[in-house]
Amino acid sequence: MKHKYFATLLYVVFSLQTLLSVAQDRTVTGTVRDKSSGDGLPGVSLIIKGSNNGTITDQDGKFSISAPSGGILVVSFVGFNSVEQPLNNSNSYNIDLAADTRQLSEIIVVGYGTQTKAEFTGSAARITGTAVKDIPVQSFDQALAGRAAGVSIAQPNGVLNNPPIIRIRGINSISLSSYPLIVVDGIPINTGNVSADANVVNNPLGDINPADIESIDVLKDAASTSIYGSRAAAGVLLITTKRGKEGKVKVSYEGWTGFSTATRLPKLLNSTQFVAIKNEAVLNSRILAGTSQEGYETFFPSNNADGSLVDTRWYDYLYRTGVSHNHNVSITGGSKSTSYFFSTNFSDQKGFLIDNDFKRKAVRFNIDHEVNSRLKLRASINYNTTFNKSPNSGSLPNNAQLIVGAARMALTLAPNVAPYNADGSYNITPTGQIGNGNNKIVSSYYNPVSLLALSRYTSENDRIIGSFGATLKLLKGLDLTTTYAIDRLRTENVAFLSPENGSSSSTKGQGSNVTGLRNNWNWTSTLNYDRRSGKHHLALLAGYDVQKFENSSWGAYVTQAADIYFNDYQGSWGVINPTGNSLEAKAYLSYFGRLNYDLNDRYFFTANFRRDGNSALGIENKFGNFGGVSAGWALSEESFFKDAAISSTLNSVKFRASWGRVGNGNLSNAYGSQELYAASLYGSAATWAISQAGNPRLGWETSEQTNIGVDLGLLKDRVQVELTWFNNDVNGLILNAPQSPSKGIPGNVILSNVGSLYNRGIELGINANIIRKGDFSWNASFNYTGIRNKVTALADGNADVIGSTHTAVNAFNVTRVGESVGSLYGAKTDGVNPENGRRIFINAKGEKVQFSHVVGAGDFRYSYLDGTRAPEISAADYDVLGNALPKWYGGLVNNFKYKQFDFSVNLTYAGGNYIMNGTKATLRDQRFFNNYTDILDRWTTPGQVTDIPRLVYNDQTSNGNNGPISANVEKGDFLRVQNIGLGYTIPTGLINRIGLGSARIYGQVSNAFIFTKYTGSDPESSVNSNSNTSPGVELNSIGQARNITFGINVGF
Amino acid sequence: MKKYISYRRLTGYLGFAALLSLSACDEDKLLNTSPPTSLSSAYVFDTPDRVLGLVNGIYKGVKSANFYGGRYLLYLDVRGEDFINVTSNVYTAYESWNNSYSSGSNDIISLWASAYSAINLSNILIDGLAKNGTAIDATLAAQYTAEAKFLRALSYYSLVTIYARPYNENNGSSPAIPLRLSPETTPENNGLKKSTVAEIYAQIIKDLNEAEAALPENYSTPLLNTTRAHKNTARALKTRVFLNQKNWDKVIEEAVKIVPQTTAPYSATAGVKHQLQNISQIFTSDFTSTESILSVPFTSLDSYGGQSSIAYIYGANSEYYLNPQGIGGDSQFSATDARRGLLKVTSGRSFLTKFGTASPFLNYIPVIRYSEILLNYAEATANKGQLTLAANLLKAVHARSDANYTFAESALATNTALINAIWKERRIELLGEGFRSNDLLRNNLPLPAKSSSTLVSGQVSPSAENYIFPISNAEIVTNKLL
Repeated sequence: MKHKYFATLLYVVFSLQTLLSVAQDRTVTGTVRDKSSGDGLPGVSLIIKGSNNGTITDQDGKFSISAPSGGILVVSFVGFNSVEQPLNNSNSYNIDLAADTRQLSEIIVVGYGTQTKAEFTGSAARITGTAVKDIPVQSFDQALAGRAAGVSIAQPNGVLNNPPIIRIRGINSISLSSYPLIVVDGIPINTGNVSADANVVNNPLGDINPADIESIDVLKDAASTSIYGSRAAAGVLLITTKRGKEGKVKVSYEGWTGFSTATRLPKLLNSTQFVAIKNEAVLNSRILAGTSQEGYETFFPSNNADGSLVDTRWYDYLYRTGVSHNHNVSITGGSKSTSYFFSTNFSDQKGFLIDNDFKRKAVRFNIDHEVNSRLKLRASINYNTTFNKSPNSGSLPNNAQLIVGAARMALTLAPNVAPYNADGSYNITPTGQIGNGNNKIVSSYYNPVSLLALSRYTSENDRIIGSFGATLKLLKGLDLTTTYAIDRLRTENVAFLSPENGSSSSTKGQGSNVTGLRNNWNWTSTLNYDRRSGKHHLALLAGYDVQKFENSSWGAYVTQAADIYFNDYQGSWGVINPTGNSLEAKAYLSYFGRLNYDLNDRYFFTANFRRDGNSALGIENKFGNFGGVSAGWALSEESFFKDAAISSTLNSVKFRASWGRVGNGNLSNAYGSQELYAASLYGSAATWAISQAGNPRLGWETSEQTNIGVDLGLLKDRVQVELTWFNNDVNGLILNAPQSPSKGIPGNVILSNVGSLYNRGIELGINANIIRKGDFSWNASFNYTGIRNKVTALADGNADVIGSTHTAVNAFNVTRVGESVGSLYGAKTDGVNPENGRRIFINAKGEKVQFSHVVGAGDFRYSYLDGTRAPEISAADYDVLGNALPKWYGGLVNNFKYKQFDFSVNLTYAGGNYIMNGTKATLRDQRFFNNYTDILDRWTTPGQVTDIPRLVYNDQTSNGNNGPISANVEKGDFLRVQNIGLGYTIPTGLINRIGLGSARIYGQVSNAFIFTKYTGSDPESSVNSNSNTSPGVELNSIGQARNITFGINVGF
Repeated sequence: MKKYISYRRLTGYLGFAALLSLSACDEDKLLNTSPPTSLSSAYVFDTPDRVLGLVNGIYKGVKSANFYGGRYLLYLDVRGEDFINVTSNVYTAYESWNNSYSSGSNDIISLWASAYSAINLSNILIDGLAKNGTAIDATLAAQYTAEAKFLRALSYYSLVTIYARPYNENNGSSPAIPLRLSPETTPENNGLKKSTVAEIYAQIIKDLNEAEAALPENYSTPLLNTTRAHKNTARALKTRVFLNQKNWDKVIEEAVKIVPQTTAPYSATAGVKHQLQNISQIFTSDFTSTESILSVPFTSLDSYGGQSSIAYIYGANSEYYLNPQGIGGDSQFSATDARRGLLKVTSGRSFLTKFGTASPFLNYIPVIRYSEILLNYAEATANKGQLTLAANLLKAVHARSDANYTFAESALATNTALINAIWKERRIELLGEGFRSNDLLRNNLPLPAKSSSTLVSGQVSPSAENYIFPISNAEIVTNKLL
C-alpha cells in the first residue's frame, strides 16, 4: 500500500510541477473519520483554501491531494462541522470530523417534499432514528417520549405493543381521534389498534422496525400540516426510512437483550392480616345492623399439606421477569446511479405480565435508481409478521371491571387460598371459580393459574407496505413525481377459553377466529418547481392525492367442545356463531398546492392549500378547503444586526409566524353521517332496526391555528433556542352529541358538528453543547410545553359529555364547557368523620353528608352530621374534581462522551393534572377482595383521624367502588428517569484487527426511576388508552415495565 | 426552436399528469359510499319483508338482555324477599337485591335505555307506516301498527311501574317519566318533561285498546302465537295494567274475554285457545304451548350468555338462592309441588333453573303466561267479593302443579285471606318471572329485609326514595326539561 501511495505521490508531484509554478506542491494523504464512531467517511470534500484544487475521499475515507506547503486544507461534509487543517511539513493527516450539532442546515421533511431548516417557517421537530433504535420498545412511537416540544407521549401501561397516547399540542377533538397522522415514506398508514379481540392489543406501528427509521419529523402547526388538510388536525408524524448512499457496502448488526420487570406493585395484606381485616368488616356490619354477632367470622386461615399457613402471593403467579431479545442486520450501499438499503429484524419480547408476548419478523428493501438524468425511480417494500399475545390484562379499554383481568386478580384474590390443591390439581369449584379454602364466601373470581394455563388471546399481523415511485424532470427545476403505495395488513385474531375451567366452563369452552384485512392504497402525484435566481428562491408544488381504505373482517366463535382435547377453533364443536363481521370502505381525494418564496435568505414566505373530499362525511359536506400561510424573517442576516455588538453572542435570530386552517373528518365510522338500519334475528325471524341516527349535514371539524415563534442561536450556535406560542381554535367539533336516552336513539348519540375548544400554550426547546473540552463533551437538549385546553361550547345547551370507564357507573370524566376535555368527575368527599368512621360526602348544596353502608333501626345510610336523614348522594351531586390533561410536560436529554465512553440520561416530566386512581378503590374494596396494607390505618375508634373509613363488609360506596369520589383523585406531577444508558465504542484499531469496522456495546435502564407523589402504579396510566373523553384514569390495570437491556452494534 | 420544443413537451407532460388523476365520475363513486352490511333509512319501508323485519325489530328491542331478554325480570324479582344474593356482584343485580342503586348505576341506566329504545322502534314503525305504508296493504299495516302499540304499551308499563311512584299511592298524580310518542332520529327534542303516572297509564290503556282492535285473532303457527302479539295478548296485558291500578272491574272485564269459564278447566275460547299446560314442559321443551301468551324466543343465533343471561345467573352460575324465610320455605309451596322441579338444590340451597342451566341458553323467557291471567282475575274477583270464583281460579293454578294440595278453609274464607293466598301463589307460580317486587309496590307494601350470613339488605319502606328506581343519570344530564 505504502508503495502505491509513494508512486502516486511521485507521479502527482512531477505532473503538477508543470502546471503550477507558484509554490512547490507535494501530495498529502490521509483519512477523514467520523469523530464519534471512528469510521472512515466516504465522499468528504477537501479543497485547498483559495484554490479550485480539490478532491473527495474514497470509500474508506482516504484521500490524497497535491497541496502547497503552508496551505490550508478545508474539509467539509454534509452534517458535519467543517475543519480547516493547516498543512505543515507532514505529508499525512488524520482528520476527525465532528457531527454538526447546528441544526440550521438540517433538512426537514415536510409534506410532499423537504425544506432546509433555515427556510422553514412553520413549527416542526425532528427526531433521528438513532434516538429510537436501541430503546427496547415494540413500536417506534413508544420511544419518542420527552423528545420534542409540544409532543406528549405517554404509555398507558405495560401491556406489550399497547399504542402510546400521542398528543401534539393537546387534545384537538372530542369524538374523533386525537392521534396524529402517521406517514411512512409518503403513505399515510393504519394506526390505532387493529386487534379484533378486546383482550389483546395490536398497534400496527409495531410492524415498522424501529431500526429502519432514518428520521421522524413532527409537524405541529397548521402552516406545515395544512398540506395534509383534513388529515392533519392532530399533527403529522413523517417517518422516513433509511435508504442507501453511494459508497462502499456497509453491513451492520444491532442486537440487544433485555429484562422486563413490574414496578410499583402495591403491598398487599398477607394471609393473617387478610383474615383479621375481613372479619373485622363483617363484625362491623353486624354491629351497625344491630344483629347478632354470634359466629360472625367468615374468613379463616387454611393450611398447606405440610401444615404451614397458606399465604399466596398472587403477584408471583401473574407477573414474571420477561426476557427479550432483538436483532437487526442491514446491508446498504450503492453506486452512482443505484443505491439500496436492505434490512431484516427479529424481535422476541416478553412482558412482565405472564403470557404477554410480542414477536416481529421483518424485512425491508429500499432502492433508488437513476435511469438517466431525467428519470429517477424509487421503490420500497416492507414485509413483516407481528405476533401479539396477552392474557386479559384488565388494562385495555373496556376491560377494567372484568373479573378475568390479570392485574385485578393479582390485587383482589384472597391470600389464604392456594392456587393448587394438595394433590397438585387446580383449586377450583365445579362451576370453574377459584376454591375458597376455609372462607365461608362464594367468590366469583376464577383461579388465574388454571385460567391462564388453558386460555389464550392472540392477534397476528401479516403486512406488506410497498411503494413505487418515479420522478421525471420535465424542465429545469420542474419535476413530476408520482407514487403508488399499498399498505395491506391481514390480522388473524385467535381466542381460546378452556372447557375445563375458568370463565367458559359453562359453555364447555369457547374458541374464536376473526380475520381482518385492511387494504389501503394511495396514489400521489406532484409537480414541483424549484428555481433560484439571484436573491430569489421560488418553489411551487401542485399535487393530487387519492387514498382508499377497504376494511373487511369476518369470523366465528364456537362453543360446546366435543372433547376437552380441542384447543382450537378448528377442532370439533357443538355450536358455531358468526362474530367480528364487518365490511367498510372509505376514501379521501385531495388537490393541494404550496408556494415557497424566499428573498435574500432573509425573508421567507410559504402558502399551502388543500381541497379534501372525504367519503365518511355527510352528502352535503363532502369537500372542504384548508390552507395556511407562514412567514419568516432571519433578522441575523440583516447587515445592521451583523454589525451590532450583540451578534457576537446572539449569532442567529429568526422570527416566524404562521396561521392556518386544518380540518378533521377522521371518523372511525366510515358511514357515520348516514341514518342506517341493521338486520338481526328475533328467534329465527329476520329483523330490521335503526342502528344509527345519521346527520346528512355532518361536516369537518376545523381548527384555526396560529403559531408565532423565534429561533435563536447563541455563542456560535452552541446554544440554540426555539420559542413558540400557539393557539388552536377548534370549531364545529364532531361530537357524539348525547341524546336523551328517552329518545331511544341507538347509542344515545348522534354525530353532529357542535362545540368548540381551544388549546393554547408555549413551547420551548433548548439545545446546548454545554461542555466540549478535549475528549469530554456534554450535550443537552431540554424541552418544555405549557398548554391550556378549554372547551368553549358543546351540543344542545352545552350538555355535559360523560366519559365512562368500562361501565356506566364509572362516570369518571366529564367534558364540560369551561373545563378541559375529559375532566375528572365524581362526588366530592371530605375525609372520614372521626366520630364514627363514616365517609363524608359533600352534596350539590355544599352540605356534609355521611354514609354508612349498614345501619340499624332509626339510623340512615345517608345522614347529615347531626344524624338526621339526608338525601342519597347521586350523580346530581357530582362535580368536576380536576383536570385530567397535563398542563406542562417535556423532557431533558443529556449525552455525555468521554473518549470511547458515552453516557446518556433522559428525563421526562409532566404535571398540572389530576388522576382518578380507581385502583385505590379496588385496594380498599370491602367485599371479599384482598386489600393493600394501607387499609391497616382504617378507622377503629372514636376520635381517630384517618382517611380510611370504618370497614363495613360489602361497602362499595365509601371507597368509590361504585361511583367516583374525590378521595381517589390525586395529583399527577412526575419526573421520570426514562432512560439511562452507558456505552463503550471499541477503538477502531482493536476491532479492525478482528475484522470489524466498528463496534459499540451498551447497557441501559428504561423507566429507571420515577419521582411522584401519585400513589397508583404510574402517573401516565390510562386504562382508556387513547380516549379523548376519559383520560387520566387508572383502574385495575398493570403498571409500567422497568427494562434493563444490553446491546451491541457492529459494523463490518 | 428549442424553447418551442420544450413547451410542447411540457403540454405533453401535463397531459400525462392529468391522466394520472382519476376522472370526475370516479370521484363520485369514491366519495359517495354506502355500507354493504346496513340499509339506508331511505329504503327500509320499501318491501313487505323489510316492513315485517321492522316489526320483528321492535320485538327484538323488547327482547334486549336488559329488558324482557331477562335482566329486567331479575331486577324485579331480587328486589323482593324471595332470593338471597351470593356474589354481591353489581353486574348481576346486586344493587337491585340490596336496593342500593343510584341514578348512575349500570342497571338503572341500561334498563332505561333499552325500554326507551324499544319505544322508539315502535314509534318509528307507527309513523313510518302512516307515511310510507305503500309496500303492504292497509289491513296488514293496521295489524303491524297494533303490534307496535302493544309493544310500546308493554314498554311504558315496565318503565312506569319501576321508575315512578306506584299508581295507588295517589291515583297516579306523581310525576313519572317522559312520554314519547313520535319517532326520534335527529338531535331535536332532547328536553321533554315528565308526564304523570296517570297520563302514562292512560296512554298504555289507549294503546292496548287500539292494539286489541287491530291485532289478529291468531297467527298461522304456535311459534308466532307465542312470539307475536294477537288480540288475547293485548287483553292479557290489560288485566296486568288494571290490576296495578286496582281497577278490579276492568281487570274482570278483560279477563273474562280470555277466561270465560267460572270453573276449571279454564281456557280461552276466542282467538288463540290459551289454557294451562304441563308446568315442566312449558319451561323445558314446549315453549310455544297455548299457556305461553307471549314469550321471547331464543335460538342459537339469537341467544344470550354469561351475565346477559338470567339462566346463567340463576341456573348455571348459582348467584341467587331461594330465601328459606321467603316463599321457598312456605307451606303453600309443598315438597310435592311440581314447580319445585324448576329448582335445583346444591348444598342445601335451592337455585332457580326455570330458564335453563347449561349454555347455550335457549329456553324461551315468558312475558305473559295464562296462569298469571288466572291469578290476576282471581285477585280482582277476590277484591270484589266473588270468593268462589277467585278460589276456583287460585286452585286451578295450584292444582295443576300440586294436585294433592288442599287450601285450608281459613285461607279461602275471607277476601283478605284469599288475597294473601293468591299473592303467595303468584310468588310460587311466577317465581323468577319478574313479579314479586311490583306486587309489593302496587300494594304499597315495604320491600322486606333479607339476609344471609354475610350479606344484609334492609327493609325499604314505601316512603323511601329507593322504593322505586331513580331516573337514569344519562337522562338527567341530557333532558333539561325533566
